[in-house]
Amino acid sequence: MDGIHDVGGKQGYGAIDVDEADLYEIGEAFHHDWEAREWGLSRCARTPDITIDWWRHCRELILPVDYLERPYFDSWAQTDFATYIDGGFFTLDEVCSGHSNSGNKQLDEEPPKPLSKLEAVMADRQKVCRFDSDINEQPLFAIGDAVITNKYGHSGHTRLPEYARNCVGKIHALNGAHVFPDFSAQGKEVHQHLYSVVFETGDLWPDSENKHDKVYLDLWQNYLSKK
Amino acid sequence: MVEFNAKKVAKVHQHLHSHLPSDSALRVKALETLLVEKGLVNPASIDAWIEAYTEDIGPKRGAHIVAKAWCDPEFKQRLVEDGPSAIDELGYVGSATGHLKVIENTASVHNLVVCTLCSCYPFSILGIAPAWYKAAAYRSRAVRAPRGVLAEFGVQISDDVEVRVWDSTAELRYLVLPQRPSDTEALDEEELASLVTRNSMIGTDRDLLKKVEVKA
Repeated sequence: MDGIHDVGGKQGYGAIDVDEADLYEIGEAFHHDWEAREWGLSRCARTPDITIDWWRHCRELILPVDYLERPYFDSWAQTDFATYIDGGFFTLDEVCSGHSNSGNKQLDEEPPKPLSKLEAVMADRQKVCRFDSDINEQPLFAIGDAVITNKYGHSGHTRLPEYARNCVGKIHALNGAHVFPDFSAQGKEVHQHLYSVVFETGDLWPDSENKHDKVYLDLWQNYLSKK
Repeated sequence: MVEFNAKKVAKVHQHLHSHLPSDSALRVKALETLLVEKGLVNPASIDAWIEAYTEDIGPKRGAHIVAKAWCDPEFKQRLVEDGPSAIDELGYVGSATGHLKVIENTASVHNLVVCTLCSCYPFSILGIAPAWYKAAAYRSRAVRAPRGVLAEFGVQISDDVEVRVWDSTAELRYLVLPQRPSDTEALDEEELASLVTRNSMIGTDRDLLKKVEVKA
Protein backbone atom coordinates (compact mmCIF):
# COMPACT_ATOMS: atom_id res chain seq x y z
CA MET A 1 0.00 0.00 0.00
CA ASP A 2 1.12 3.55 -0.60
CA GLY A 3 1.19 4.17 3.13
CA ILE A 4 2.96 6.36 5.64
CA HIS A 5 5.47 3.56 6.37
CA ASP A 6 7.11 3.87 2.93
CA VAL A 7 9.47 6.71 3.90
CA GLY A 8 12.51 6.03 1.68
CA GLY A 9 13.59 9.28 0.01
CA LYS A 10 10.92 11.41 1.69
CA GLN A 11 12.12 14.76 2.96
CA GLY A 12 11.43 16.88 6.01
CA TYR A 13 11.92 14.40 8.86
CA GLY A 14 14.66 16.48 10.44
CA ALA A 15 17.92 15.59 12.16
CA ILE A 16 18.88 12.07 13.22
CA ASP A 17 19.23 11.53 16.95
CA VAL A 18 22.86 10.39 16.77
CA ASP A 19 23.54 10.93 20.47
CA GLU A 20 22.25 7.44 21.12
CA ALA A 21 25.26 6.15 19.18
CA ASP A 22 27.18 4.74 22.12
CA LEU A 23 24.28 3.58 24.27
CA TYR A 24 25.09 -0.08 23.77
CA GLU A 25 28.51 0.34 25.32
CA ILE A 26 26.90 0.86 28.70
CA GLY A 27 24.84 -2.28 28.22
CA GLU A 28 21.47 -0.70 27.58
CA ALA A 29 19.14 -2.29 25.10
CA PHE A 30 15.93 -0.49 26.07
CA HIS A 31 15.12 3.09 26.96
CA HIS A 32 12.01 2.31 29.01
CA ASP A 33 10.68 -0.67 30.94
CA TRP A 34 7.56 -0.79 28.78
CA GLU A 35 9.75 -1.18 25.66
CA ALA A 36 11.41 -4.18 27.25
CA ARG A 37 8.00 -5.65 28.22
CA GLU A 38 6.72 -5.27 24.64
CA TRP A 39 9.87 -6.92 23.29
CA GLY A 40 9.48 -9.79 25.75
CA LEU A 41 5.79 -10.19 24.88
CA SER A 42 6.59 -10.26 21.17
CA ARG A 43 9.07 -13.10 21.78
CA CYS A 44 6.62 -15.09 23.92
CA ALA A 45 3.50 -15.09 21.78
CA ARG A 46 1.96 -14.16 18.49
CA THR A 47 -1.30 -15.39 16.98
CA PRO A 48 -0.57 -18.98 15.94
CA ASP A 49 -1.13 -18.88 12.18
CA ILE A 50 0.16 -15.34 11.62
CA THR A 51 2.70 -14.56 8.90
CA ILE A 52 5.42 -11.95 9.27
CA ASP A 53 4.01 -10.13 6.26
CA TRP A 54 0.47 -9.95 7.68
CA TRP A 55 1.92 -8.58 10.93
CA ARG A 56 3.90 -5.97 8.94
CA HIS A 57 0.77 -5.05 6.98
CA CYS A 58 -1.19 -4.61 10.22
CA ARG A 59 1.52 -2.19 11.35
CA GLU A 60 1.31 -0.30 8.05
CA LEU A 61 -2.45 0.08 8.58
CA ILE A 62 -1.96 2.16 11.75
CA LEU A 63 -3.33 5.68 11.26
CA PRO A 64 -0.59 7.93 9.81
CA VAL A 65 -0.76 10.30 12.77
CA ASP A 66 -0.17 7.41 15.19
CA TYR A 67 2.52 5.85 12.98
CA LEU A 68 4.53 9.07 12.97
CA GLU A 69 3.96 10.33 16.48
CA ARG A 70 3.91 7.28 18.71
CA PRO A 71 7.12 5.48 19.79
CA TYR A 72 8.35 2.46 17.84
CA PHE A 73 7.58 -0.31 20.34
CA ASP A 74 4.22 1.34 21.06
CA SER A 75 3.37 0.65 17.42
CA TRP A 76 4.31 -3.00 18.01
CA ALA A 77 1.81 -3.17 20.88
CA GLN A 78 -0.90 -1.57 18.73
CA THR A 79 -0.11 -4.02 15.91
CA ASP A 80 -0.32 -6.92 18.36
CA PHE A 81 -3.72 -5.71 19.58
CA ALA A 82 -4.96 -5.52 16.00
CA THR A 83 -3.70 -9.01 15.10
CA TYR A 84 -5.13 -10.56 18.28
CA ILE A 85 -8.50 -8.96 17.50
CA ASP A 86 -8.29 -10.11 13.87
CA GLY A 87 -7.43 -13.62 15.07
CA GLY A 88 -10.40 -13.72 17.47
CA PHE A 89 -8.30 -13.81 20.63
CA PHE A 90 -9.32 -10.38 22.00
CA THR A 91 -12.43 -8.25 21.60
CA LEU A 92 -12.17 -4.51 21.14
CA ASP A 93 -13.86 -4.05 24.53
CA GLU A 94 -11.24 -6.18 26.23
CA VAL A 95 -8.41 -4.22 24.62
CA CYS A 96 -9.94 -0.90 25.68
CA SER A 97 -10.60 -2.07 29.27
CA GLY A 98 -7.28 -3.91 29.52
CA HIS A 99 -8.91 -7.02 31.01
CA SER A 100 -10.26 -10.31 29.73
CA ASN A 101 -14.07 -10.65 29.69
CA SER A 102 -14.07 -14.30 28.75
CA GLY A 103 -11.59 -15.64 31.25
CA ASN A 104 -8.97 -18.07 30.17
CA LYS A 105 -9.54 -18.97 26.53
CA GLN A 106 -7.16 -21.89 26.81
CA LEU A 107 -8.51 -23.07 30.16
CA ASP A 108 -8.42 -26.71 29.15
CA GLU A 109 -4.80 -26.51 28.13
CA GLU A 110 -1.73 -26.29 30.33
CA PRO A 111 -0.60 -22.66 30.67
CA PRO A 112 2.76 -22.09 28.98
CA LYS A 113 5.73 -23.13 31.07
CA PRO A 114 8.00 -20.36 32.36
CA LEU A 115 11.32 -20.00 30.54
CA SER A 116 14.63 -19.28 32.24
CA LYS A 117 17.04 -16.79 30.66
CA LEU A 118 19.18 -19.63 29.33
CA GLU A 119 16.10 -21.27 27.81
CA ALA A 120 15.18 -17.97 26.18
CA VAL A 121 18.70 -17.70 24.68
CA MET A 122 18.34 -21.26 23.36
CA ALA A 123 14.81 -20.53 22.11
CA ASP A 124 16.12 -17.55 20.16
CA ARG A 125 18.43 -19.95 18.34
CA GLN A 126 15.40 -22.08 17.46
CA LYS A 127 13.64 -19.01 16.07
CA VAL A 128 15.91 -19.00 13.03
CA CYS A 129 13.63 -19.01 9.99
CA ARG A 130 14.27 -19.86 6.37
CA PHE A 131 11.96 -18.26 3.84
CA ASP A 132 13.42 -19.94 0.74
CA SER A 133 12.40 -23.14 -0.99
CA ASP A 134 13.22 -25.04 -4.17
CA ILE A 135 10.78 -24.38 -7.02
CA ASN A 136 10.58 -25.89 -10.49
CA GLU A 137 10.45 -22.59 -12.30
CA GLN A 138 13.81 -21.27 -13.55
CA PRO A 139 14.74 -17.68 -12.69
CA LEU A 140 13.79 -15.22 -15.42
CA PHE A 141 16.86 -13.04 -14.90
CA ALA A 142 20.61 -13.61 -14.63
CA ILE A 143 23.35 -11.60 -12.94
CA GLY A 144 24.07 -8.44 -14.93
CA ASP A 145 20.64 -8.28 -16.62
CA ALA A 146 19.07 -4.84 -16.84
CA VAL A 147 15.59 -4.75 -15.27
CA ILE A 148 12.92 -2.14 -14.71
CA THR A 149 10.75 -2.12 -11.61
CA ASN A 150 6.95 -1.92 -11.60
CA LYS A 151 5.47 1.54 -11.99
CA TYR A 152 2.67 0.99 -9.50
CA GLY A 153 2.11 -0.80 -6.22
CA HIS A 154 -1.29 -1.96 -4.93
CA SER A 155 -3.48 -1.49 -1.87
CA GLY A 156 -2.15 -4.57 -0.04
CA HIS A 157 1.22 -5.34 1.51
CA THR A 158 4.18 -5.10 -0.87
CA ARG A 159 7.94 -4.71 -0.51
CA LEU A 160 8.79 -2.61 -3.55
CA PRO A 161 9.30 0.85 -2.05
CA GLU A 162 7.81 3.82 -3.85
CA TYR A 163 11.20 5.46 -4.42
CA ALA A 164 12.40 2.47 -6.46
CA ARG A 165 9.36 2.13 -8.74
CA ASN A 166 9.69 2.49 -12.50
CA CYS A 167 13.47 2.56 -12.12
CA VAL A 168 16.18 0.75 -14.08
CA GLY A 169 18.65 -1.42 -12.19
CA LYS A 170 20.85 -4.45 -12.69
CA ILE A 171 20.61 -7.93 -11.21
CA HIS A 172 23.41 -8.16 -8.62
CA ALA A 173 22.62 -11.59 -7.14
CA LEU A 174 20.10 -14.45 -7.20
CA ASN A 175 18.94 -15.51 -3.75
CA GLY A 176 16.76 -18.50 -4.61
CA ALA A 177 12.96 -18.52 -4.33
CA HIS A 178 11.57 -16.79 -1.22
CA VAL A 179 8.06 -16.47 0.20
CA PHE A 180 6.35 -13.71 -1.81
CA PRO A 181 5.24 -11.11 0.75
CA ASP A 182 2.30 -9.69 -1.22
CA PHE A 183 0.61 -13.13 -1.03
CA SER A 184 1.97 -14.08 2.39
CA ALA A 185 0.19 -11.04 3.85
CA GLN A 186 -3.03 -12.68 2.61
CA GLY A 187 -2.16 -16.03 4.15
CA LYS A 188 -0.99 -17.64 0.90
CA GLU A 189 2.50 -19.14 0.78
CA VAL A 190 4.00 -18.88 -2.71
CA HIS A 191 7.73 -18.94 -3.39
CA GLN A 192 9.16 -16.75 -6.08
CA HIS A 193 12.69 -15.91 -7.24
CA LEU A 194 14.25 -13.14 -5.17
CA TYR A 195 17.01 -10.97 -6.63
CA SER A 196 19.36 -8.39 -5.17
CA VAL A 197 19.09 -5.49 -7.60
CA VAL A 198 21.60 -2.65 -7.73
CA PHE A 199 20.60 0.87 -8.73
CA GLU A 200 22.88 3.78 -9.61
CA THR A 201 21.84 6.64 -7.34
CA GLY A 202 21.58 8.89 -10.39
CA ASP A 203 18.83 6.60 -11.69
CA LEU A 204 16.87 6.95 -8.45
CA TRP A 205 17.30 10.60 -7.50
CA PRO A 206 17.53 13.90 -9.32
CA ASP A 207 19.84 15.19 -6.57
CA SER A 208 22.22 12.26 -6.13
CA GLU A 209 25.23 13.15 -3.95
CA ASN A 210 27.78 11.13 -5.90
CA LYS A 211 27.24 9.32 -9.19
CA HIS A 212 29.39 6.37 -8.10
CA ASP A 213 27.14 5.52 -5.13
CA LYS A 214 24.67 2.65 -5.32
CA VAL A 215 21.51 1.42 -3.62
CA TYR A 216 20.77 -2.31 -3.35
CA LEU A 217 17.27 -3.73 -2.87
CA ASP A 218 16.08 -7.31 -2.54
CA LEU A 219 13.19 -7.65 -4.99
CA TRP A 220 10.92 -10.47 -6.10
CA GLN A 221 10.50 -11.42 -9.75
CA ASN A 222 6.92 -10.09 -9.82
CA TYR A 223 8.28 -6.58 -9.20
CA LEU A 224 10.61 -6.70 -12.22
CA SER A 225 10.50 -6.72 -16.03
CA LYS A 226 13.29 -7.07 -18.56
CA LYS A 227 14.62 -3.70 -19.68
CA MET B 1 -7.92 -18.08 13.03
CA VAL B 2 -6.26 -15.10 11.42
CA GLU B 3 -8.69 -13.58 8.90
CA PHE B 4 -6.13 -11.50 6.95
CA ASN B 5 -8.87 -8.86 6.74
CA ALA B 6 -7.15 -5.53 6.10
CA LYS B 7 -10.40 -3.50 6.08
CA LYS B 8 -11.30 -4.86 9.52
CA VAL B 9 -7.84 -4.12 10.89
CA ALA B 10 -7.93 -0.56 9.49
CA LYS B 11 -11.19 -0.03 11.41
CA VAL B 12 -9.68 -1.55 14.55
CA HIS B 13 -6.80 0.94 14.34
CA GLN B 14 -9.31 3.82 14.15
CA HIS B 15 -10.98 2.55 17.32
CA LEU B 16 -7.64 2.07 19.05
CA HIS B 17 -6.63 5.60 18.08
CA SER B 18 -9.66 6.97 19.95
CA HIS B 19 -9.96 4.53 22.85
CA LEU B 20 -6.53 3.30 23.96
CA PRO B 21 -4.83 5.22 26.77
CA SER B 22 -2.23 7.64 25.47
CA ASP B 23 0.56 6.44 27.77
CA SER B 24 2.65 3.74 26.07
CA ALA B 25 3.37 2.01 29.37
CA LEU B 26 -0.40 1.61 30.03
CA ARG B 27 -0.96 0.21 26.52
CA VAL B 28 1.75 -2.42 26.91
CA LYS B 29 0.52 -3.22 30.43
CA ALA B 30 -2.97 -3.84 28.99
CA LEU B 31 -1.52 -6.15 26.34
CA GLU B 32 0.47 -8.08 28.93
CA THR B 33 -2.52 -8.35 31.29
CA LEU B 34 -4.75 -9.71 28.54
CA LEU B 35 -2.19 -12.24 27.31
CA VAL B 36 -1.54 -13.46 30.85
CA GLU B 37 -5.25 -13.56 31.81
CA LYS B 38 -6.02 -15.58 28.71
CA GLY B 39 -3.25 -18.01 29.53
CA LEU B 40 -1.27 -17.27 26.37
CA VAL B 41 1.88 -15.95 28.06
CA ASN B 42 3.74 -16.79 31.24
CA PRO B 43 5.00 -13.54 32.86
CA ALA B 44 8.25 -15.22 33.97
CA SER B 45 9.05 -15.89 30.32
CA ILE B 46 8.73 -12.18 29.49
CA ASP B 47 11.40 -11.46 32.13
CA ALA B 48 13.57 -14.23 30.69
CA TRP B 49 13.41 -12.80 27.16
CA ILE B 50 14.25 -9.30 28.44
CA GLU B 51 17.24 -10.65 30.35
CA ALA B 52 18.37 -12.67 27.32
CA TYR B 53 18.36 -9.55 25.12
CA THR B 54 19.90 -7.35 27.82
CA GLU B 55 22.70 -9.65 28.96
CA ASP B 56 23.44 -12.24 26.26
CA ILE B 57 22.06 -11.37 22.84
CA GLY B 58 23.36 -8.05 21.57
CA PRO B 59 26.03 -6.26 19.55
CA LYS B 60 28.85 -7.94 21.45
CA ARG B 61 28.00 -11.03 19.41
CA GLY B 62 28.38 -9.03 16.21
CA ALA B 63 31.70 -7.62 17.45
CA HIS B 64 32.90 -11.17 18.17
CA ILE B 65 31.99 -12.24 14.63
CA VAL B 66 33.86 -9.25 13.16
CA ALA B 67 36.97 -9.78 15.28
CA LYS B 68 37.04 -13.48 14.44
CA ALA B 69 36.75 -12.67 10.73
CA TRP B 70 39.72 -10.28 11.06
CA CYS B 71 41.84 -12.95 12.77
CA ASP B 72 40.77 -16.08 10.89
CA PRO B 73 40.73 -15.82 7.05
CA GLU B 74 39.02 -19.18 6.66
CA PHE B 75 36.19 -18.14 9.01
CA LYS B 76 35.89 -14.89 7.08
CA GLN B 77 35.55 -16.78 3.82
CA ARG B 78 32.83 -19.01 5.29
CA LEU B 79 31.12 -15.92 6.74
CA VAL B 80 30.97 -14.14 3.40
CA GLU B 81 29.91 -17.28 1.51
CA ASP B 82 27.27 -18.52 3.99
CA GLY B 83 26.60 -16.12 6.86
CA PRO B 84 24.06 -18.22 8.81
CA SER B 85 26.26 -21.34 8.87
CA ALA B 86 29.35 -19.38 9.88
CA ILE B 87 27.66 -17.58 12.79
CA ASP B 88 26.04 -20.86 13.83
CA GLU B 89 29.58 -22.09 14.62
CA LEU B 90 29.52 -19.50 17.44
CA GLY B 91 25.94 -20.31 18.47
CA TYR B 92 24.75 -16.91 17.25
CA VAL B 93 22.26 -17.81 14.54
CA GLY B 94 18.66 -17.10 15.59
CA SER B 95 15.99 -14.40 15.24
CA ALA B 96 16.22 -12.70 11.84
CA THR B 97 19.59 -14.13 10.83
CA GLY B 98 18.46 -17.16 8.78
CA HIS B 99 19.42 -15.29 5.60
CA LEU B 100 22.35 -13.22 6.86
CA LYS B 101 24.62 -11.54 4.29
CA VAL B 102 27.95 -10.11 5.32
CA ILE B 103 29.12 -7.11 3.30
CA GLU B 104 32.71 -6.00 3.57
CA ASN B 105 34.04 -2.47 3.76
CA THR B 106 37.28 -1.81 1.89
CA ALA B 107 39.48 1.24 1.29
CA SER B 108 37.28 2.08 -1.70
CA VAL B 109 33.83 0.87 -0.55
CA HIS B 110 31.63 1.85 2.39
CA ASN B 111 28.42 -0.06 3.16
CA LEU B 112 25.36 1.31 4.97
CA VAL B 113 22.30 -0.73 6.03
CA VAL B 114 18.73 0.55 6.34
CA CYS B 115 15.15 -0.72 6.20
CA THR B 116 13.03 1.99 4.60
CA LEU B 117 9.73 0.04 4.82
CA CYS B 118 9.85 -1.02 8.48
CA SER B 119 12.95 -1.56 10.64
CA CYS B 120 14.32 -5.01 9.78
CA TYR B 121 17.43 -5.78 11.82
CA PRO B 122 19.56 -8.90 12.52
CA PHE B 123 18.37 -9.35 16.12
CA SER B 124 20.34 -12.44 17.11
CA ILE B 125 23.72 -10.78 16.42
CA LEU B 126 23.05 -7.06 17.04
CA GLY B 127 20.23 -7.20 19.61
CA ILE B 128 17.71 -4.36 19.83
CA ALA B 129 18.09 -1.76 17.09
CA PRO B 130 18.99 1.77 18.19
CA ALA B 131 16.07 4.24 18.17
CA TRP B 132 17.54 6.27 15.29
CA TYR B 133 17.61 3.16 13.06
CA LYS B 134 13.83 2.86 13.50
CA ALA B 135 13.11 6.58 13.09
CA ALA B 136 11.81 8.18 9.88
CA ALA B 137 14.72 10.68 9.80
CA TYR B 138 17.28 7.90 9.20
CA ARG B 139 15.06 5.60 7.14
CA SER B 140 14.01 8.36 4.75
CA ARG B 141 17.43 9.84 4.08
CA ALA B 142 19.79 6.84 4.15
CA VAL B 143 18.84 5.85 0.59
CA ARG B 144 18.79 9.37 -0.84
CA ALA B 145 21.55 11.25 0.95
CA PRO B 146 23.77 8.62 2.62
CA ARG B 147 26.82 10.87 2.69
CA GLY B 148 24.82 13.53 4.51
CA VAL B 149 23.57 10.92 6.97
CA LEU B 150 27.11 9.68 7.57
CA ALA B 151 28.35 13.25 8.11
CA GLU B 152 25.66 13.60 10.79
CA PHE B 153 27.26 10.63 12.54
CA GLY B 154 30.64 12.34 12.20
CA VAL B 155 31.79 10.09 9.36
CA GLN B 156 33.32 11.84 6.35
CA ILE B 157 33.49 9.78 3.16
CA SER B 158 35.86 11.03 0.46
CA ASP B 159 34.59 11.32 -3.11
CA ASP B 160 36.67 8.40 -4.36
CA VAL B 161 35.02 5.97 -1.91
CA GLU B 162 31.86 4.33 -3.25
CA VAL B 163 28.90 4.26 -0.84
CA ARG B 164 26.63 1.21 -1.11
CA VAL B 165 23.30 1.40 0.68
CA TRP B 166 21.47 -1.86 1.40
CA ASP B 167 17.70 -1.48 1.85
CA SER B 168 16.46 -4.59 3.69
CA THR B 169 13.29 -5.10 1.64
CA ALA B 170 13.18 -8.94 1.96
CA GLU B 171 14.18 -11.45 4.66
CA LEU B 172 17.89 -11.03 3.89
CA ARG B 173 19.64 -9.22 6.73
CA TYR B 174 22.95 -7.42 6.43
CA LEU B 175 26.00 -7.18 8.67
CA VAL B 176 28.71 -4.72 7.68
CA LEU B 177 32.22 -6.10 8.15
CA PRO B 178 34.24 -2.99 9.00
CA GLN B 179 37.92 -2.66 8.07
CA ARG B 180 40.41 -3.81 10.67
CA PRO B 181 42.26 -0.78 12.03
CA SER B 182 45.95 -0.70 11.10
CA ASP B 183 48.63 -1.26 13.75
CA THR B 184 46.48 -3.74 15.64
CA GLU B 185 48.58 -6.86 14.90
CA ALA B 186 49.48 -7.21 18.57
CA LEU B 187 45.86 -7.39 19.72
CA ASP B 188 44.05 -10.68 20.29
CA GLU B 189 40.50 -11.49 19.20
CA GLU B 190 38.92 -10.26 22.42
CA GLU B 191 40.82 -6.97 22.36
CA LEU B 192 39.90 -6.48 18.71
CA ALA B 193 36.22 -7.16 19.47
CA SER B 194 36.28 -4.33 22.02
CA LEU B 195 37.16 -1.91 19.19
CA VAL B 196 34.11 -2.80 17.10
CA THR B 197 31.23 -0.38 17.55
CA ARG B 198 27.61 -1.32 17.00
CA ASN B 199 27.31 1.52 14.50
CA SER B 200 30.24 0.20 12.45
CA MET B 201 28.27 -3.02 11.87
CA ILE B 202 25.29 -1.00 10.56
CA GLY B 203 27.57 1.32 8.61
CA THR B 204 27.13 4.61 10.48
CA ASP B 205 30.70 4.37 11.77
CA ARG B 206 33.79 3.62 9.65
CA ASP B 207 37.20 4.48 11.07
CA LEU B 208 37.71 2.30 14.15
CA LEU B 209 41.29 3.57 14.47
CA LYS B 210 39.91 6.67 16.15
CA LYS B 211 38.84 4.48 19.00
CA VAL B 212 42.27 2.83 19.25
CA GLU B 213 43.83 6.26 19.60
CA VAL B 214 41.37 7.28 22.28
CA LYS B 215 42.08 4.10 24.22
CA ALA B 216 45.86 4.58 23.88
